[in-house]
Amino acid sequence: MADLALNGLSKHYGDFYAVRDVSLAIADGEFLVLLGPSGCGKTTTLRMVAGFIEPSAGEVRLGGQDVTLLPPWKRNAGMVFQSYALFPHMTVAQNVAFGLEMRKLGRVDIDQRVEETLALVRLDGFGGRLPRQLSGGQQQRVALARALAIRPDVLLLDEPLSNLDAKLRQEVRIEIRELQRQLGLTTVMVTHDQEEALTMADRLVVMNEGAVRQVGTQRDLYERPADRFVAGFVGRTTFLGGTVKAPGRFRSDGGLALACTGGRPGRAVLSLRPERAMVGRAALSGLDNSLPGTVEFVSYLGALIDIHVRLSPKDRLVVQIANRDGGFTPEVGQPVHVGWPASAGQIFNE
Amino acid sequence: MADIAIPYSAVAAKRRREGLTAAALVGPATIFVTFCLLAPLVILFRYSLNEFVPTTKVMVEALTPANYIRFFTDPYYTAILATTVRVAVLVTAVCLLLGFPLAYVVARTQSRFKHLLIISIILPLFVGNAVRAAGWMTIFGTKGAVNATLLWLGLIDAPLQIMFTETAVIIGIIAVNLPFMVLTLQSVIEGIDRAVEEAAFSLGAPPGTMFRRVLWPLALPGIVAGTILTFILAMNAYATPFLLGGPRFKMMAPLVYDQFTKQANWPFGGSIAFILMTVTLLLTVAANLLLQRRAAR
Repeated sequence: MADLALNGLSKHYGDFYAVRDVSLAIADGEFLVLLGPSGCGKTTTLRMVAGFIEPSAGEVRLGGQDVTLLPPWKRNAGMVFQSYALFPHMTVAQNVAFGLEMRKLGRVDIDQRVEETLALVRLDGFGGRLPRQLSGGQQQRVALARALAIRPDVLLLDEPLSNLDAKLRQEVRIEIRELQRQLGLTTVMVTHDQEEALTMADRLVVMNEGAVRQVGTQRDLYERPADRFVAGFVGRTTFLGGTVKAPGRFRSDGGLALACTGGRPGRAVLSLRPERAMVGRAALSGLDNSLPGTVEFVSYLGALIDIHVRLSPKDRLVVQIANRDGGFTPEVGQPVHVGWPASAGQIFNE
Repeated sequence: MADIAIPYSAVAAKRRREGLTAAALVGPATIFVTFCLLAPLVILFRYSLNEFVPTTKVMVEALTPANYIRFFTDPYYTAILATTVRVAVLVTAVCLLLGFPLAYVVARTQSRFKHLLIISIILPLFVGNAVRAAGWMTIFGTKGAVNATLLWLGLIDAPLQIMFTETAVIIGIIAVNLPFMVLTLQSVIEGIDRAVEEAAFSLGAPPGTMFRRVLWPLALPGIVAGTILTFILAMNAYATPFLLGGPRFKMMAPLVYDQFTKQANWPFGGSIAFILMTVTLLLTVAANLLLQRRAAR
C-alpha cells in the first residue's frame, strides 16, 4: 500500500477540459470517493491514475514515485471495472492468477495466493468456473479478487456497484468497505450515487465540470457545502432565490423577509435542508422564521413524509417530517405554518 | 378428459402452424441449394468416375478411378495443385497479418467517420476483376508506371516482369480477399469489451502479452471465420489467376473450366473439381483444429 498524490492534474481535448487542475492527497489506507454527475471528470481522473489516459498537465505520484508517464502495466494499481471486464475465456482461478503470472511468481505461490484471495471474497470452490457461470454479484467479487491478488499500491474502483441490483448493492458496499479497512487498502472509487459515496468513503471529493468543488467528510459536505452545486448535489435541499439586504437579512423573490446567517448584500439563494424546517398548525414560537403557507403536495416515504408548502406565489419549500405516532401530518390544501432557525439556512451569493 | 382434449388440440394446431411457418421460411433456400448445388455436384461426381475417349471426345459410362489416378500421377497436375495451395496459404496469411491491425483500428475507433472507413474497406469489391486487372496493367505492365519510374530513376536496366507472375496473382487475390477478412474480424473485435484489454494492462500485461493472452483468444472465432472465408476464396480464385497470371500460370479453378470447355473432358474436369473441393475442405478443417488446439493450451 502507498499514498497517492495528484498535483495539478488536467486533461483537455482541444478547448474542452475534461479535468481541470485537480490536486488531491490520498493517505495510505484511505478510502476516497470521487462523486459527481456524469461527465464531471471523475472517471477521467481515475483513468489517469490507472494510466489509461495521459494527463495534459500535472503529475500522479504513487508512494512518492512519479508515475505520470508510466504505462498502466508498470504501475501497481488494481482496478475494478464497471463491466467487471473479466476474461471470459479463463476460469475464475485463471482470472485471479493473471496478474500474478505477469509478476512472474512461481506456480505454487500463484496457486496459494489465488486460493487465499478467493477465500477473502468468499468464493472458495469457485476457481474452476467460467465467469459466465456466475451471478452478477459473484462476478463482481471475482473482479475484486483479481485486483486484490496483485497486492496493489492503490485500488481503483470505477462504479463497481452500478450493475448490481439495489439490495445486493447495499451488502456489497459494506463488504468492500470492511475488506478495504481490514487490508488497509488505499482506495479511490468513482460513483455518481451519493448514498453509495456517503456510506463508503473516509473522505469525498465532489466534482463538477472537470473541477473539484469540495473535498471533505460526509458531515463537511452536508453541513457546510462550499457552494450551491455541492449543496444541491449532496443530500436534498430547497433553494429560495432572492436578495441579501444586509448580512442576516434575506428577501425572497416572492417578497418574504427571512432571517439568515451571514451573506453579502446582493443576489443570492437561500438553501434549506427539508429536515431542518418544522411544520405546525399555528405560528411556531422560538424560531427565527415562522411563515404561513398552504400544503400543495404530500409525499409519503414510509419512515419520512415530505410536505411541499407554498409560502408565496414564487416560493415553495419542502419540509420533511418523521412519521411518528400522534405527530401532525397535514393534508393537501391545509393552511400550515413553517418555521426554522436562521442558522438552519445557508446563503450562497451569486 | 374433455376439458383437456380441447386445449390440447388447440396446442397441436398451433404447433402445426408454427411448423408450417418454419417450413415456409427454410423451404425456398433449401430447395434452391438442393437443385442448384447438391444435384449438380452429385451428377458431376458420377461423371468423374466415367471414361473419356480422347480421339472422339466422347464420355463413356464406367466406374473407374482412372481420372483421379491420372491427376495424382502426372507432375503437371500435382504442380498446379501445389501452386494453388501455396498461393491460397500465402494470401490467407498476408490477409490475416494486414487485416487484423486494420480491423482492430476500425473496431475501436470513436471517429465520426467510421462508416466512411468501412466503406473504403469494401470499396475494392465495387471494382470487378476485369476492370481491376486492366487497371493494374497500366501500373505493373512492362511499359507501366512502376517500370517507367524505375527505369527513369536508373534503378533497373530492363523492365521488371510483374504482370503474369505468381506475385501478381497473389497481390491480386489479396486485394479481393482482404475486405472479407477485415469485416469478419472487425465484427468480432467490436464484441470484445475494451475494458478487458485495459484490465490486462492494469494487471501488468504489456501490449504484446495482452494480445497473446486476451485479444487473440477472444478474437479466435473471427480469425477462424476470416481465414476459412479467405482460404476458400483463394483456393477457388478463377478470374484473378486467369487475368493477372497470363496464359502460362495455372491454378485449379481455371484448370477445371479449361477441361470442361476447351478439352470437353467432363470426367477429368469433374475429378479435378472434386479434388479441389476435397483438398480445400481438408486443409480448412486441419488448420482450424491446429488453431483451436493452440488456443486451448
